[in-house]
Amino acid sequence: MRPALVFSLLLCLLLALDGVLFVDALGRRKAEDATLAQLEVTTSALGLTDLAVATEARYTRHPAVSDPMAPFMDHPGAIEHFPTGAFWLPPQH
Amino acid sequence: MLIELSGVSKIYNQGRANEVRALTDIDLGVEQGSMVCLKGPSGSGKSTLLAIIGCIFPPTSGKAAIAERQLARLPDRFLTLHRRETIGFIFQRFNILPELTVLDNITLPLLPLGVPPKERKLRAQELLERFGISHRSQFPAGQISGGELQRVAIARALINNQPIILADEPTAHLDTTLSREFMEIMQQLKATGKTIVIASHDPLVFEHPAIDRTITIKDGRIHVP
Amino acid sequence: MAQTNLEKQINILDYALSSLWRRRMKSLSVLLVFAAVIFLLASFQMVTQALSDKAKQVLVYTPEITLQKMSAGRQEAIPLAYKDKLAGIFGIRRVVPRIWGYYFDEVLLANYTVMGMDVEEMPESARRLDTALASGRMPTPDEQGRVVVGHSVKKALDLEGRNTFSFFRPNLSMKAFTVSGEFSQGTDILTNDLIVMNLADARDLYAIPAGMVTDLCVYVANPKEIDTIARKISETLPGVRVLTRPQIQKTYQVVFGWRSGFGSICLLTALAAFVILAWDKASGLSPEERREIAILKVLGWETSDILAVRFWESVIVSGLACIVGMTAAYIHVVYFAASLFRPVLMGWSVLRPDLHLLPRMAAGDILLILAFTVIPYLAATVIPAWRSATVPADSALGG
Repeated sequence: MRPALVFSLLLCLLLALDGVLFVDALGRRKAEDATLAQLEVTTSALGLTDLAVATEARYTRHPAVSDPMAPFMDHPGAIEHFPTGAFWLPPQH
Repeated sequence: MLIELSGVSKIYNQGRANEVRALTDIDLGVEQGSMVCLKGPSGSGKSTLLAIIGCIFPPTSGKAAIAERQLARLPDRFLTLHRRETIGFIFQRFNILPELTVLDNITLPLLPLGVPPKERKLRAQELLERFGISHRSQFPAGQISGGELQRVAIARALINNQPIILADEPTAHLDTTLSREFMEIMQQLKATGKTIVIASHDPLVFEHPAIDRTITIKDGRIHVP
Repeated sequence: MAQTNLEKQINILDYALSSLWRRRMKSLSVLLVFAAVIFLLASFQMVTQALSDKAKQVLVYTPEITLQKMSAGRQEAIPLAYKDKLAGIFGIRRVVPRIWGYYFDEVLLANYTVMGMDVEEMPESARRLDTALASGRMPTPDEQGRVVVGHSVKKALDLEGRNTFSFFRPNLSMKAFTVSGEFSQGTDILTNDLIVMNLADARDLYAIPAGMVTDLCVYVANPKEIDTIARKISETLPGVRVLTRPQIQKTYQVVFGWRSGFGSICLLTALAAFVILAWDKASGLSPEERREIAILKVLGWETSDILAVRFWESVIVSGLACIVGMTAAYIHVVYFAASLFRPVLMGWSVLRPDLHLLPRMAAGDILLILAFTVIPYLAATVIPAWRSATVPADSALGG
């Protein structure tokens, strides 16, 4: 079999895999839409302002409503010691 | 005359500090169907002359006509196209790509011509059978014997049915038996109408009866004894 | 003629593929490194995009204005009396006080978010909140000590067999709670660490004096008036931090941007990898490569054919790396919940939500990744390939 054909088959295989993932995503998106209604209710009823992902520090758990000084609450020259502080940035306002 | 050179000179790095005059005033004519040997020590300009005949580059001055095509004013691209159709090369160390199979090595010149795989295989098989090495077609070229390599190199030079065969010191790294075998094959090719030019200082070559003419090159000029 | 040209290109493709196969160890290593870099970038892109989408969808329902009291640059409790001061501002629909904060469980090292409010005071969806629960119901204002907990809280406090637990007040006395409901797992991303209770219970737990709350949620009649009303509130109540919904939403745009600390690290790593790759490629042709090119030239291959081989080699390697890298990134994010990024996203958090991330790969996102990976690689490999144009064909002649 010529190399170009082998390569094309490999490519088709990879793209077929991507196709399967795409179809699966369609199904997942439908399921996601169902939970969206619940999320909307929760946010509006409880007045939530942040996603509950990084719960180790108050300013990474609630970055939107923390003041910029929050990471330095312990000490004026305190170095950031929470790993998530590198990702969840303080608000810019 | 299939090969016609008149007043051909070749200067490398013209006008610069490292200017080298490789060939001076070469007049040469080779008739179709003849076999000519270019004799001379290394550095004599043999390889340069072969390169000009082989349409690798044009001369600096003078006229060079190969298969009725004037080389002097041909741009690089057309030179390549002309070389493709006209010249079959047999290199000094055969210059085979060892990781490619014998078949792939032989059909290398056919790839840029857009020849499809089936036809390439057909043409190659013909030549492999002619030279008795068809059982080696799928072997990596790096794993075959010296004699078989020699025949692969010759087959590659014939794959596109080129009318002119150029061989550059083909027996330099071969033993006597293989050298004789090589000249026998050249004789057979001459009989089929091929025009052959061999650059060599091996007596087994230039003293072979199939050689029509020996031309001695010395210091870039044709030496007339 | 067209047929021959097509056949020629396929022949050259064949040669490029066999050339890569001949050097398969090297080709494979380059492919894997390349794919790993693309995997990193694409994973980051997908995670941040999925979270950003979620934040965008969800935070549309955040209170229009949130008021916090600041003192010496830090947040402190806000007097309930401020609610009355806002009565004069036109356009405010409702002001809802909340007491919320964190409770650190020293045994489990878990940080819960405790939210105390009288849910029925909220203008929107208070009655529909029960639909967000997997089981049970929200506590009514007169029910003492009843809470609704998030999924991770239930797991952490081991509330499978029982439904009561106790927390410490500041004076180390215990306050008992009974679980009246549990948030559905579909709301994990908002509620997994949440404990919702009545305002009175939260006040009791944190020993917050009467007349003080943590913040005030302000709801306006016309969302277009948010900034105007925010300004009026600032003038009426100096020393109060006024956070508007657009400001809160903007936080997440910044968090998930490429200029965030982690995003920059991913990008710089990618660029560093490519500088190294490009340097390797640009550092010239090996003797074997020069020999191969000279032989091909003598055999009638044009410089453009040889460049085409190099081009196809680069396209094959980068194309495959791209597909493999992006597919792996997608699988990593969707089916493994971006587990490799967990330390960055969640750090030392003990309570971890089940992230159900579903990124949308738009053409723009794919192009962005290509621009930082495939294009530099092609430039780094094809440009030096011009060096092959300088290999003289006659170097194949002679010993």
